[in-house]
Amino acid sequence: MGIKDLSFKKSLWVFHLSAGSCNNCDIEILDLLTPRYDVERFGMKLVGSIRHADVLLVTGIITKKTKARVLEVYEQAPKPIIVIAIGACPCTGGIFASGYNFAGPLDKVIPVDAYIPGCPPKPEAMLAGVMKLLAPPPPEQANANK
Amino acid sequence: MNIEQYIIDIKDKFPDITNVEVINTKRLMVYIPQSLLPKITDYWFNELQYRYVIVTAMDSKDGYELIYHYSDDSSGWIMSLNVLLPHDTPEVESMTSIVYGIEWIEREIMDILGIKFLNHPKPERFLLPESWPEGDYPYRRKIRKEDR
Amino acid sequence: MGKKTIVPIGPYHPLLEEPEFFKLYCDGETVVDMEWETGYNHRGIEKICESKTFEQVFFVVERICGICSTSHPFAYANAVESIGGVQIPVRAKLIRSIVGELERIHSHLLWVGLAGHFLGYNTVFMWAWKYREPVLDMFEIITGNRNNYAMFTIGGVRRDIDETKATELLKVLDDVKKKTDLLVGAVMDDPVIHARLKGVGTLTAKDIHDFGAVGPTARASGVDIDVRRDDPYAAYDMVNWKVITTPEGDVFAKAKVRLLEMYESISIIKQCLTLLQKETPGDIKAKVKEIPEGIGIGHAEAPRGEVFHFVKSDGGNSPVRHKIRAPSYNCITTFRRSCIGGTISDAAIATAAVDPCYCCTERMVQVYDYHSGKHMMNAAELIKFSQQKTEELRKKL
Ligand code: SF4
Repeated sequence: MGIKDLSFKKSLWVFHLSAGSCNNCDIEILDLLTPRYDVERFGMKLVGSIRHADVLLVTGIITKKTKARVLEVYEQAPKPIIVIAIGACPCTGGIFASGYNFAGPLDKVIPVDAYIPGCPPKPEAMLAGVMKLLAPPPPEQANANK
Repeated sequence: MNIEQYIIDIKDKFPDITNVEVINTKRLMVYIPQSLLPKITDYWFNELQYRYVIVTAMDSKDGYELIYHYSDDSSGWIMSLNVLLPHDTPEVESMTSIVYGIEWIEREIMDILGIKFLNHPKPERFLLPESWPEGDYPYRRKIRKEDR
Repeated sequence: MGKKTIVPIGPYHPLLEEPEFFKLYCDGETVVDMEWETGYNHRGIEKICESKTFEQVFFVVERICGICSTSHPFAYANAVESIGGVQIPVRAKLIRSIVGELERIHSHLLWVGLAGHFLGYNTVFMWAWKYREPVLDMFEIITGNRNNYAMFTIGGVRRDIDETKATELLKVLDDVKKKTDLLVGAVMDDPVIHARLKGVGTLTAKDIHDFGAVGPTARASGVDIDVRRDDPYAAYDMVNWKVITTPEGDVFAKAKVRLLEMYESISIIKQCLTLLQKETPGDIKAKVKEIPEGIGIGHAEAPRGEVFHFVKSDGGNSPVRHKIRAPSYNCITTFRRSCIGGTISDAAIATAAVDPCYCCTERMVQVYDYHSGKHMMNAAELIKFSQQKTEELRKKL
């Protein structure tokens, strides 16, 4: 196990960045903190600064004005960092892809580790997505990787 | 509210009004020349205490249309003022001295349509990104010339 | 005046979910001026709408703001239907009102939670959001999604509420009512909350008129406006309810208006459900052939105030101009009056009192030192500041 895997093993600290969203994805992320979903039982926690984070959640389309800020936040992030695109917006642009202020999907701006599509994805889907990313690969796949 | 009487009264008060039209149930549109705008705005906003709603800006065939919406909440009518600005000199007096809250939307219209508001307290870019090219206005119709 | 400090709130911080950017100019502890930087969330929705057909626009406007995903379609439907002179069936009217009021309940609960967090009452935050879940479940049962309901269409609604769903809904409402009692008790009787919110961020009726502010912000300053009553649409003239107003204008008044409005919403839904039983099931959509040439202006009362849509049609398939005005657009400007003269620790709650929605307005907040331009404080610290003040007050009492 490399240091990268080790650092993501437990207790992820999450920073949430809303680029140009409609709010629903953001609210569903906050919802994860509240009693019904309670992600803190997995040791996850929303933090106020990217400098403390292991995971960067991006919601909403990348507008031309936020693009520079997204890059800046990514540069400030301690590496290694996991970037997760939440919702149809950062994955592809979703319904806003034809807008004049759209600067391209998130993976054209910064490298993305996981995509969680949906508009908005249900909180369960977000949890499942993060868990899948962190779980060790199933044995057959692990063998194939050798 | 008796709308027929209202239309007669407002035409009496401001003889320069070009046209008054009931466009739908409880929706009134008053077409005015640019010079009348401050006077009638003052009358509606201060004297009749209509609530300021928003300004719609539109690029239409004969010019840029600015539609100032006010709401008379006691009767539920929405009153709109329609001002037509020519395509070559899109300039109009800013209403910020009368309606305090109108500042934002005027800046937004400057951004998206390139209309100049004279005497605006802060004529700066509002919505579009810093990198947006000067003189490119997303809501202007690009194919208008061929249309005409 | 002494040295001025600029306090930037935002742009990205964990609890006001959206990008927002305010600059507070401070002299010592006092806020002396305020400025906004905007456009971070500008997605060009009005332009996108012009490239969609009338039916498709519903799905775009619903994504202007996640919390108001009924209100925008509501206002748009009112606008387009008024161009075409479309008469919608009574059953559709009732269902529209039910969905609209459910949304108000969920939005107000969300606000109570966030306001609680700003004050350092994280228990209130957790509670309010927990009680919100059954409402979202109800949405999932009725419309098929927790948010972005895709419920409206020209001439009616897309899904019916049948007997089973109605009984389920009644059960949830009774539950929500009990929980609301609890929250109202927690807010109204707490001496610390009184000390913290009364007389803070006061807006007079004149301020409201100057800025054209709407919704609970206006009603808490004694301005008696509500589109649902003044220009009734859907089923609001078929049921009995009252507009909640209170004259004080401070943050406490805004909280009071929102909490009491939830009771009205519950009562409206119940009456609508009773009326719904009398209508023939399945009759939920009028046939609409085409939208003729013309101008339609529609408005609707969202949880935050009046949503305004202007639609111009040239008889074709899609609107030629679609102007959208969200309530926050007019309410946010009032910060200028409510924050100036107050202290920095009150600024957080005074801004939150309006329940600003930056996605609707397309906007972003930050605190710099006026002279050096140095970053002094971010929003998370500002909230902490506000929480500390509550803590001190609590100790004193
Ligand atoms: S993916 Fe959908 S719900 Fe999420 S921000 Fe985009 S439009 Fe809103």
